[in-house]
Amino acid sequence: MIGDYKGTVKNKVVVALLQAYHDILDYDGMKSILREAEMMYIKDVRDENPNDSIDFFSFKKIISAQNCLLYDSSDLLFEIGKKFSFYLFPFGKSFEEIIDEINSSIITNWRVNIIKNNENEIILQVHRCIFCSEIGVPCDLLKGFLVHSLQKSLPSEYRLTYERDKEDVNDPNHNSFIAKLKIEKY
Amino acid sequence: MGDDKKRQWALKLALLGDPAVGKTSLIDKYITDSFNENYQPTLGVNIVTKDIKLEEINSDIRLLLWDIAGQAKYELTRKMFFQGCSGALFVYDKTRYSTFENITSKWLEDFIKFGKPDGVYILIGNKLDLKDSIKVSSEEGKLLSQKINATEFIETSAKYGENVEMAFKKLVLHILKKSGVKFELD
Repeated sequence: MIGDYKGTVKNKVVVALLQAYHDILDYDGMKSILREAEMMYIKDVRDENPNDSIDFFSFKKIISAQNCLLYDSSDLLFEIGKKFSFYLFPFGKSFEEIIDEINSSIITNWRVNIIKNNENEIILQVHRCIFCSEIGVPCDLLKGFLVHSLQKSLPSEYRLTYERDKEDVNDPNHNSFIAKLKIEKY
Repeated sequence: MGDDKKRQWALKLALLGDPAVGKTSLIDKYITDSFNENYQPTLGVNIVTKDIKLEEINSDIRLLLWDIAGQAKYELTRKMFFQGCSGALFVYDKTRYSTFENITSKWLEDFIKFGKPDGVYILIGNKLDLKDSIKVSSEEGKLLSQKINATEFIETSAKYGENVEMAFKKLVLHILKKSGVKFELD
């Protein structure tokens, strides 16, 4: 891990991420990531106050371990991102509220902004995605998170289409990107 | 090799086979030189890393070893685990004939369908040490490995370590050879 990792992450974010790992990779998969991060003790974070925080450096250790072990597993990262959204925001929030809350729950040098929002399309600008930042790892976890967050907030007669572009993961700026989510009525 | 520059690789390898054939024990022996007599089924996937140096091809290699649960309840999620797999060890238990039959009817089919098209695989007959209980002969193992186009057939004992390191090393060498690295393979 190279870089300046200042900031805080709310416990509820960590809990949702661990539940997502557990759902997709089961208990041993989740344990593998925490063991690689040397953060096994964080397993019990669900017993803590969800609005308390851990330091961003510790969170980044989990993300780095995830990206090391899930190398070349972009489909899994995308599915984990969807589950992460499911557990962090189980119900009752609009897409705009979800974006506001993810920004305010992870305080560091990153940002997700909605730059266009109409009935056919939502365009987001992601600045320094923190779920992928190292060279060599795609931003599929955040993309899965965004897709599922919008999907569940749409009325039932609408559906979301999103094509995952192949990223140039060797570009150090690949973690800043534009995501276009198209909305169609059945 | 005319190129003096050290090369670095990351290879995702899977261990596949029925429950209790010894996949986790093979990894434990390879990584920590340990063996646990008590069987504990893997829940989902256990992922471990091992960094190796292969002086003969001037390369540093990070192995990502995916110990994938053999239980039927993981059949739906298991296919996602194969993405990006460069190679696999197909493991059967020499003392249980059904585990040998399932290599073709179940495990190979999944790996070919969901793994990399050029994936390399070795057939492993494990529990070589249980000499009085053997139900699958070495000859049958050899014939199956030819039938399924495995690059090698190796019999191992995870308990005593017989041929374990060699199995992993050969898998890596076969993958690199297939990737175009030039060297002599014994």
